[in-house]
Amino acid sequence: MALLDVRHVTSGYGEMTILRDISMRVEPGEVVTLIGPNGAGKSTLLKTIFGLLPPTEGLMRFEDTDITGLKPPALVRRGMSYVPQVENVFPSLTVQENLEMGAFVRSDGFAERLEEMYAFFPTLRLKRKQRVGSLSGGERQMVAMGRALMLDPRLLLLDEPSAGLAPRLVGMVFEKMAEINRTGVALLIVEQNAREALRLSHRGYVMASGQVRLEGKGDQLLHDEAVGRLYLGGGR
Amino acid sequence: MNLRISSLTEFLVSDMGFVELVVYGVVLGSIIALGAIGLTLLYGVLRFAHFAHGDLMTLGAYVVFLLNLELLPTLGIPELKWGSLSFGGRMLGALIVSMGVTVLVALLIDRILYHPLRARKSSPAILAIASLGMAFILRSLIYIIWGPQFLFYSQELRPAWALPLGVRLKPDQVLILGLALLLVLLLYLFLQYTKLGKAMRATADNPQLALVCGIDTGRVTAWTWGLGAALAAAAGVLYGVDAQLRPDMGWSFLLPLFAAVILGGIGSPLGAFVGGMILGVVQQVSTAFLLPTYKPAVAFLVLILLLFVRPRGLFGGA
Repeated sequence: MALLDVRHVTSGYGEMTILRDISMRVEPGEVVTLIGPNGAGKSTLLKTIFGLLPPTEGLMRFEDTDITGLKPPALVRRGMSYVPQVENVFPSLTVQENLEMGAFVRSDGFAERLEEMYAFFPTLRLKRKQRVGSLSGGERQMVAMGRALMLDPRLLLLDEPSAGLAPRLVGMVFEKMAEINRTGVALLIVEQNAREALRLSHRGYVMASGQVRLEGKGDQLLHDEAVGRLYLGGGR
Repeated sequence: MNLRISSLTEFLVSDMGFVELVVYGVVLGSIIALGAIGLTLLYGVLRFAHFAHGDLMTLGAYVVFLLNLELLPTLGIPELKWGSLSFGGRMLGALIVSMGVTVLVALLIDRILYHPLRARKSSPAILAIASLGMAFILRSLIYIIWGPQFLFYSQELRPAWALPLGVRLKPDQVLILGLALLLVLLLYLFLQYTKLGKAMRATADNPQLALVCGIDTGRVTAWTWGLGAALAAAAGVLYGVDAQLRPDMGWSFLLPLFAAVILGGIGSPLGAFVGGMILGVVQQVSTAFLLPTYKPAVAFLVLILLLFVRPRGLFGGA
């Protein structure tokens, strides 16, 4: 059974419909990337799954529960986390306080999980008492991911995790995503850096104008001529 | 202009000397700070300027009057004054009850007025104007119940302590400062070290991300109202101890409160505290040169000058 199952979902902002009749799924432990041009509705799909936008039609299931219409606090308790593209940290809080906020709904095992996160992101341990506003872009992205991982989620939604980072750091972010996935966490990624993301992915969906146009295995999409020409930016 | 300018020598050696004015300024500043911290917290979490904050101060002051001078004496509960202070334990009890009552009133107002507006996604301007209306309602109710005349917690004359450097200080003022600083310290510890306090700072930083973390923003909102209202009530009572009660006392505090919030950097509790202290001192010291009527003008002059140097306030944003 799929970890996340989205069926015929329509959603948008108020009167403005962005997503039309979207169906997609994420299997346990899988990495799935959403690619497509700007305005295709990739970020809107993540927000809809995470309950930040209410779907006007369709059904969503996570594990064996219906999550249609549930809000983020209910979803994080069920094992789903989300890293927004921008403003994904609390700048005036310290690194450690950011991680604590990630574990807000958790009542036990906080210290152990914090230790695991510091082992996973050693830089964060060194800077745990610094205000996140004073950190570099790459370090902030680690804080954002660490925060989302504090609840030990089974599905992590990542919106443009490498956007705005220096090329050297983009590689680091992709390495970390692969490592996170190796611990058994399924990832649903929206990424501009589509080629890199598809290499990491088991499967991908190509979206355009608020609809899913194509579904395929990661390397299949990577080598598809039409996808390459339209969405991966020409030759390799 | 009706200015009263003294020469520098006269100023330094006069009875109302510089040091004494600074000390009085710190006492006044601690009262402004209590109000301003609540105002800045409310702005941080709820993103609107709460114009009824001064009137929550007034409410707190009058509830203590009701309890300590009208209700408790008729129940035969005596006030045992502490040392040279003008009040004792009964007053302190009344203060605590009044803080609780003011919190309940604030939560009730939020439930019936601000919460429905937020649910409809009204703009911050709508909320601010609604709170201005609530300020008038609160003030009018206090007028209706207690009348327009000045009221006093105590009219007894208590000898002031003569301290070095020509400072004369009433024992009450020492207690005002002590209590205000204690409340600020408790709030600081709450915000810095408790899970809920951190969640409150997180919500002020980034409300959307707080929701994404699963933070119960409704609970954070309630706590923010609670802390803001409790501190406002305490500020009103402490001002009442120092001066007198008037239905427009809180309203007249509103400008210094906002000035302190902006001076310290909007949303920063530490900034509001420091801003309040600066304004208190500057306002009191200015009375050596200017009529006390000009105090609010002085507050704004300081604000304008500082904003030229630091447009985001002393502790404002990164």
